[in-house]
Amino acid sequence: MLAFAARRLLVSLGLVWVVASLVFLVIHLIPGDPAELLLSQGGIAPDPAAVEELRERLGLNLPLWTQYVTYMTGLLRGDFGLSLQDEHPIGEEIALRLPRTLELVGAAGVISLIVGVPLGVAAALRAGGTLDRVLSACAGLALSIPVFVVGTLAVLVLAQELRLVSAGGYVPFARDPGRHLALLLMPACTIVVGLGAVVFRVMRSSVLEVLERDHVRAAQARGAAPGAIIRRHVVRNALTPVVTVVALHLGSLLGGTVLVEFVFNWPGLSGYLVRSVEARDYPEVMGIVLVISSLFVLLNFLVDLLYAVIDPRVRHG
Amino acid sequence: MRRLSIRALAAPGILAAIIVLAAIAAPLLPLTDPVRQDVANRLTGPSFTHWLGQDEYGRDVLSRIVWGARVSLSVAFAAAAMAAAGGTLLGILGGYFRGVVELVTVRVAEVVLCFPPLLLALLVVTLMGPGAGTLVFSLAILFAPGFARVAYAETLSARSLDYVTAQEALGARTRRILARTLLPNIAPPLLVQFSLTVASAMVLESGLSFLGLGVVPPSPSWGLMIRGARASMEQAPLLLFWPCLALTGTVLVLNLLCDRLRDLLDPRGKAAGRPGFLRRLVALPAAPVGALPAAPGLLTVEGLTLEIPSRAGQVQVVRDVGFSLAPGETLAIVGESGSGKTLTGLAVMGLLPSAVKPVAGRILFTGRDGQVRDLLRMPETDMRALRGRDLAMIFQDPSSSLNPLLRIGAQVGESLRAHGVTQGVKARVVALLRQVGLPDPERAADAYPHEVSGGQRQRVMIAAAIANHPRLLLADEPTTALDVTVQAQILGLLAELRRAEGAMGMVFVTHNLAVVSDIADRVLVMYAGEVVEEAPVTDIFAAPRHPYTAALIASMPEGEAERLSAIPGAVPQPWAMPTGCRFAPRCVMAAEACRTAAPALVEIASGRHSRCLRWEEMA
Repeated sequence: MLAFAARRLLVSLGLVWVVASLVFLVIHLIPGDPAELLLSQGGIAPDPAAVEELRERLGLNLPLWTQYVTYMTGLLRGDFGLSLQDEHPIGEEIALRLPRTLELVGAAGVISLIVGVPLGVAAALRAGGTLDRVLSACAGLALSIPVFVVGTLAVLVLAQELRLVSAGGYVPFARDPGRHLALLLMPACTIVVGLGAVVFRVMRSSVLEVLERDHVRAAQARGAAPGAIIRRHVVRNALTPVVTVVALHLGSLLGGTVLVEFVFNWPGLSGYLVRSVEARDYPEVMGIVLVISSLFVLLNFLVDLLYAVIDPRVRHG
Repeated sequence: MRRLSIRALAAPGILAAIIVLAAIAAPLLPLTDPVRQDVANRLTGPSFTHWLGQDEYGRDVLSRIVWGARVSLSVAFAAAAMAAAGGTLLGILGGYFRGVVELVTVRVAEVVLCFPPLLLALLVVTLMGPGAGTLVFSLAILFAPGFARVAYAETLSARSLDYVTAQEALGARTRRILARTLLPNIAPPLLVQFSLTVASAMVLESGLSFLGLGVVPPSPSWGLMIRGARASMEQAPLLLFWPCLALTGTVLVLNLLCDRLRDLLDPRGKAAGRPGFLRRLVALPAAPVGALPAAPGLLTVEGLTLEIPSRAGQVQVVRDVGFSLAPGETLAIVGESGSGKTLTGLAVMGLLPSAVKPVAGRILFTGRDGQVRDLLRMPETDMRALRGRDLAMIFQDPSSSLNPLLRIGAQVGESLRAHGVTQGVKARVVALLRQVGLPDPERAADAYPHEVSGGQRQRVMIAAAIANHPRLLLADEPTTALDVTVQAQILGLLAELRRAEGAMGMVFVTHNLAVVSDIADRVLVMYAGEVVEEAPVTDIFAAPRHPYTAALIASMPEGEAERLSAIPGAVPQPWAMPTGCRFAPRCVMAAEACRTAAPALVEIASGRHSRCLRWEEMA
């Protein structure tokens, strides 16, 4: 198990390095000068002297490999550079905002599993029945509503018309835990609409597939009760693909919370990214993209470990 | 099935066509200019001239919705088309040439999948600035790997098809092979991928526009309209509703179309119905006339007939099968694949697949309590109490019959726990594993199925089956999936168990006559769902009284026949049974009479039955 984890960790670290280099290269090799791009907002050609001065300040005149080494050694120390807009250290801002985004994504993931897994099992066990058809239709609809539409309509109906909840915002947990969780619930549930439907669908088809397997029939031949068969022989085996799908979706959510954070004014990492993109603050964009991609890699690593916990064949393989 | 799926395609297909046509025809429709402002009448509700009202600049909402469809759909289609062309090319090249080409095409494309999609789009927007062109480009990059993956996988599988290999051997040029044989094969999955991509591209486009990083105002886009309407949500909530409805509706239609398309191309995913162990109904509700006989031996099967639905209506896969078994006796049911021997065994256990329905007959079983029950008419809950206690079964493939995620001991112990044993389960399990000859049973109990060999897995299955000293053991091809040497060991184990459990009857289902002589007392030969011969084991080898039995013996490698001969032809499909004797088309002795009337099973001596008109000529 330890050797397995160590091997996977090494691969993951290698991947993070590749991603970091890739992000660096994309920014620096793409046609167009970042300094010029930054200064040319509004479509007016920038003053060449100003561009030159900015290039000098950003170290863009140094050879590419020197820039690369500087950037990479900086990363090792947790230094992501300074914002172009206000010279604020990017690492600090990320450290402040990242936990909020992780909290949102984590809450959405947990609620989606709590909702999607039991419903998926229930629908699969009554495949073709009324419950199955109703749930499947709901899932189809939920998957078709873009997340920002769900959020916007939720704000319109629940906050605006019914005045049940506040339209969004953020209060630190330390200041008011109750209010913090209440504000977390709306954006989290907005994500759950789509993610829960994904979990439901995968769980349903996975259970249907496992039900056909020989070991389920063998358990039946031993006289095991339906509840025991479903619990021990169906649900557990059916969970493996769900783990993959949820992890993959959580990964894309790390970047995809952009819309939800925007709708609900949740001051997470994604809002920061949108601001950076609008301002074309490329050190910021680079830092955020790098952090999110690394988390994505880390998530895949955790999934591999989780696999090994669920399926003994992986540990020994 | 196929026609049904095509009809299911109609509704979403027509809706999608209407949406696309409306978007194409937008300039021709009598709509107000979508960008003409009328600030004096901003945020006015629906009126005769503006059916859906006017937005925050007084622009006509209906017109903006229709024109917005044009923008959204053209961005989505352009991106999907670019992604499809590029991705498919990469996938085919990678899959066809493999090696270095695979590395630089497919693997590089997969790097893109390492980034969360919206993040990647934002990265492109940073570099290129917002706008429709950027959108199409970034979405194309985003979706191309999906196409590359599909095309790659399909190319790999199409490449290994025999006819492609044959063409290569004939010296056909690579480019021609690719164009002629691969493209038609990978077209269907790519079509599904394409409609999926259009829907996802629309969602991403509207999302980016909603953030103000996609389509640039004043061009109408649904995402932009939602962004605009959000600001004036308090005064005019309806403004928010229309673009949300348009966007969700369109995505829903595209998703539906995609689902139906997938069902049409790959009907395997269709739901099969409720699993057997959740059925509470009795298989056959009406009890037959007459009381159950007091002592019919251990097991008596009478007139068992099983049906499955097929293209040609209900067909009988097992017809009028009957046999009986005394305590301590072993009956072998022999036949080729498709003879109905396995279904007969599963019917006794009440484990028939949900599609197979018993329509006639009874299965009388004397339980440990001496009571005779008709297993075909027992409720599932009562049946469950018998399974694993009075009735036990061993299956063909021990690897798939054990749950890979549970320890061996837990699975053997399940037999005991299911029937009320709670004390000393662990010790009993170890004793059982020792009894079936597993080396180091304590360790084996803690091992997972993949940690022991195939033969040992079958020993585990046997241990679980005999845990409660069953009255009847059904063994369905228990040695087929094993090596020849292991086969002999398992047969030896079963013979040993018979001696140890004196009163246990056994039904041994196999297609291999060779193993029958070692283990069985009597043999039942089945062909195409019918019993064709029944005899004591010594008689059947010495003097078969049905040409099918004779042919089976002649095809045994270990048999005494001078020449090994295969039976020509194959078992007829259940929906295409010959009118006369079912074996006649393959029979060397078939006469005219055999092809006109179906022969009955007749008793030709005490304990001997044959379904052949000309059995006397075989003497």
